[in-house]
Amino acid sequence: MPDIITNPNLAVVLLCAAFTAPLLTTLIGVWRPALTGVAAIASTAACLAIVGFSYAADPAAIDVPWSETLGLRFHLELDGLARMYALLATGIGLLVVVYAYRYIPLHLAHHHRSLDEQPRFFGFLLLFMAAMVGLVMAADTILQFVFWDLTAIASFYLIGFDRDRANSRSSAMMALLVTGVSAVLVLIGVLILRSELGTYAIPEMIVLESDRTVVGVALGLIGIGALAKSAQVPFHFWLPNAMAAPTPVSAYLHSAAMVAAGVFMIQRYYPMIAAFDWLLDAMLVIGFLSIAVGGLISLTRDNLKQVLAYSTISQYGYVVVMFGLGNEYGLNGATFYVLAHALVKSALFLTAGAVTEATGATQLSKVGGLAKGMPLLALGSGLAAAGLIALPLTIGFFKDELFFAAAWERGPGFGILAVASATLTFGYVARFWTGVFLGPLRSDPRGVSRFLTLPVVALGLATLVFGFWTGPMVEIAESAATMPGAEPAQIDIAYHLDARHENVMALATWALGIALVMSERWWAPAARRVTRIGDAWGPERLYQCTLDGLQAVSDRIHQIEVRDLRSRVATILAPAGILVGLAVIFTPNSDAFELGGLERSDLPLVLMLVVTALAAVAVSIPRAHLRIVITTSCVGFSLSVIYALLDAPDVALVAVLVETVLGVFFICMLLLMPASILRFETREPAERFGVRRDVVLAVITGATAFLVVWGVLSRPSPSTELIDRYEELTPLAHGRDIVTVILADFRGFDTMGEVTVIALVMLGVMSLIRKGRLR
Amino acid sequence: MTTEMTRTTSRILLLPILMVALGVLIKGYADVGDGFSAGVIASLGIVLQGVVFGAKEFDRLPLVRFAPLATFAGLFIALAVAFAPVLFGNPIFLHQPVSGAEAQHFGALEFITPVLFDIGVFLIVFGFCVGTIGAVARETVRQEREQEQLARQRLEARRASLEGRNAP
Repeated sequence: MPDIITNPNLAVVLLCAAFTAPLLTTLIGVWRPALTGVAAIASTAACLAIVGFSYAADPAAIDVPWSETLGLRFHLELDGLARMYALLATGIGLLVVVYAYRYIPLHLAHHHRSLDEQPRFFGFLLLFMAAMVGLVMAADTILQFVFWDLTAIASFYLIGFDRDRANSRSSAMMALLVTGVSAVLVLIGVLILRSELGTYAIPEMIVLESDRTVVGVALGLIGIGALAKSAQVPFHFWLPNAMAAPTPVSAYLHSAAMVAAGVFMIQRYYPMIAAFDWLLDAMLVIGFLSIAVGGLISLTRDNLKQVLAYSTISQYGYVVVMFGLGNEYGLNGATFYVLAHALVKSALFLTAGAVTEATGATQLSKVGGLAKGMPLLALGSGLAAAGLIALPLTIGFFKDELFFAAAWERGPGFGILAVASATLTFGYVARFWTGVFLGPLRSDPRGVSRFLTLPVVALGLATLVFGFWTGPMVEIAESAATMPGAEPAQIDIAYHLDARHENVMALATWALGIALVMSERWWAPAARRVTRIGDAWGPERLYQCTLDGLQAVSDRIHQIEVRDLRSRVATILAPAGILVGLAVIFTPNSDAFELGGLERSDLPLVLMLVVTALAAVAVSIPRAHLRIVITTSCVGFSLSVIYALLDAPDVALVAVLVETVLGVFFICMLLLMPASILRFETREPAERFGVRRDVVLAVITGATAFLVVWGVLSRPSPSTELIDRYEELTPLAHGRDIVTVILADFRGFDTMGEVTVIALVMLGVMSLIRKGRLR
Repeated sequence: MTTEMTRTTSRILLLPILMVALGVLIKGYADVGDGFSAGVIASLGIVLQGVVFGAKEFDRLPLVRFAPLATFAGLFIALAVAFAPVLFGNPIFLHQPVSGAEAQHFGALEFITPVLFDIGVFLIVFGFCVGTIGAVARETVRQEREQEQLARQRLEARRASLEGRNAP
C-alpha cells in the first residue's frame, strides 16, 4: 500500500476535509435542500474525528515552497496549540451544527424565507470552520493571514445572514470593518517581522529570540489585530452588534471560534511577545479594562444575547490578562481558560436561542420561571453557568483556580483585581440563569425540539464530567501551552481542602458575588447611567462618525464625478495633467527640451506633422457628432502615416486598423443614442462656464502631454542594450519579425494581461447592452 | 440604402479580406503583422457586411452570433499557453520547442507555442470587435422594432377613435 494511505499526513488530511465540508454541504444542499443539515453534521463529524485521531498520532507538518522567489511556503503544522483550537472549532462546531439542523429551518420559517437558503447558512458556517482550522495550523505568516481574513469574510456572511434586515447588514459590515481593518495591521506587522527577521515561518522566528524594539512594534500591531478580533476594549463594540446573527452563529463565532482566533494569534506569537515587558503590560491594562467594561455592561443589559455578548468580552479579558501576567501560570491558565470557556459559553448562547424559540421573548425581563417547563435545558445550562462562575465539581472551577494563582503570584493587588473580576462574572451569570429559569413564570414555553436542548445538555454534562475527570482536558491544555523548543508545560489541578490562596479567593468571590446579586436594587440605576454614557460616547460613536464622514466625502466626490460626461472626463484628465505637470517641474531637466536640427529629407515628416496638428485643432470646431468622429479619425490616420515614415510598419499597420475599427465603434455608439438627443445636443449652445472649464482642462492636459513627449524625445534613447538583446534573441525564438516576437513571446505576460482586459471589457459591454447574454 | 455596386463589391471582398487576415496571422512571426492586426482585419471584413447590408442582415450572420464565444475560447487558449508550462514545473510562457531547437515547418508557419498564443489573441480581438458591434446592431434592431410597434399601436388607436366618431 502506498505510504500516503498507511501513514497519511494529518495536517493535509484535516485541511482537505475541512475545506471539502462547505463545498460538499453546499452542493448537496443545492441538490436537495432537506439534506443540507445532515450533510453538514456528517462532514463536521468527520473533521472532528480527524482532529481526535491526531491526538493519537504524531504531530504532523507539511512544508512546500510555492513561491520561492518571494519566500512563501505552504507550511502547516498540526502541533499541540493547533490541535486544541481545531478541536474547539470542530467539536463545538459539531454541536452547533446539530443545533442549527433544527434551528435554521425554524428561523427561516419565522422570517418567511425559503428553506432553500439553508445551504447558504451551512456553507458559510463550515467555511468559517475550515478557515479556522487552516488558521490554527498555518505556520507561514502569509498563509496565516489569508486564513485570518477568510474567517472575517465568512463571519460577514454569517452575521448578515438575515440580509433583509438593515440591522443585520450594518452589524455584519461593522464586524467586517473592525476585524478587517485591524487585519491590515496584522499584515503590516507580519511584513515588518519578515524584513527584520528574514523569514515568514513562525517557528523560525521564535528561535531567533529577537528583542529589538522594531520587532516589538510589529508584534504590537499583530496584537492589536488579535485583540480587535477577540473584541477587547476599545474594539469591543462589534461583538454585541453581531448578536443580530442567528443564534447558532453567535454561539459558534462568539464563544469558540471568531473571538478565540484573536487569543490564538497572541498565543501563536507568545514566545516572542513574552520578551517585551511593555507588550505584556499593555495586555494587562486592556484585559482588565475589558473585564470591567464587559462585566459592567453585561450586568445592565436586558437582551439575553447581549448579556452573553458582553460577558464574552469580559471573559476574553481574563485570557488577555493571563497572557499579560507573563509567568508560566499565565500561559497555562490562559490556554485552559479558553478551553473551559468555550464549552460553557456556547452552552449558554444555545440556551438563549432555545429560550427565545420556546417563548418568543428576547428580553431577560420578559422570561422567567422556565425551570419547570424546560427541566432539561435548565439542567444543562445550569451546569454550564456553574462552570462559568467556577463552582467546584465543574471544569470551570479550575479555570478560575489557575487565574487566581497566576494573579496572586504577581502580587496581592492583582489578586484583589482578580477577585473583583470574578465577582462581576458571578454577578452577570447568576443574573442570567436565575432570571431565565427561576422566579415567576412570565411567558408560557412551547415545547422545543430535542435538537435544541440536547447540545446544551451535552455541553453541560461535559462541564460536570470533566470537573471530576480532569485528565483529558489537562492533557489537551498542556500540549497546547507547551511552547516550541521549551519544556512541556505542567498544569497541576486538583481539589485541595485547605486554606490556600486560590481557595480563599474563590470563597471570597462567591460571597461577594452573592452580595452583588442580592444588592442589585441599589447599584443597578447607577450602573445603567454609566453604561448609557458609554453607549453615547464610546468607541462605537467614533466608528459611526468615521463611517459617516467617509461616506459623505465619497458621496461628494461621486456627485462631482458623475454629473455629466464632461465632468467624468475632467476628473480623470485634471488630476493626471496636474500630477504629470508637477513631475515635469520637479524632475531635473537640464538636458531635456532640446530642439534638434532639420534636414531636407525630413520634409514629408514635417508636412505630415502639420497635417496632424491641423486635424487635431479641427476636432474642436464641428458640432455634429458624426463630424467630430470623422475629424478625430483624421488625427489618427495622419499619425499612422508618421509611423510609416519613421520605418515602423508594424505600428503603422496597427494604428490604421485601430483607427478604422474605433471609428466604427464610435458610430455604433451614436446609433444607440436616440436621434432626438443627438439633434438637441448639436443645436444647443454650449454653456459659457462649461466652455471656459473645457478650455482650461484642455490646455493643462495638452501642455503637460506636450512637455512630457518633448522631454522624452530630446533625450537619447535610454538603452540600446535591451533592443540589441531583443534583436539577438529573436532568431532563437524562431521569429523574424521582432515586434511580433516581443508581443507574443518576450513580453507575453503583458500581452496576456491586456487580452484578458479585452475579454473582460467585452463581458462588461455585453452586460450593459445585452444584460449578460453572450449569444 | 446602399447601391447594388457597393453590395456586390462588399460580398466579393469578404473572402479576400479573411484570406488577408489569415495570411497576416500565419506570417506574423516572419513578417509585418500579428494576431492583433489579423483579428482587426478579419473583423473589419465582417463589419463591412453590416455597414452595407444593415443591422438586420448583420445580426443574422452565424459568425456574429458566435463571436463572443470566440473571445473566451481565445482567452482560454492564451491562458493555457501561458500557464501550461507551470504544470510541468517550468516557468510560465516557456515555449515549445525550446529556443534554438528545430521546429516543424509549413511554409512560413512554424509550429511553436507562441504562434498558438498569437492565435488566441486573434480570436479574442476578432470576437471582441465583431461581438460588440454585433451586440449594438442587435440592440438597434430591437429599438427599431419597438418604435415600429409603438407607431402601429398609435395608428390603430387613432383609427379606432376616428371610427368611433364616425359611428352614430
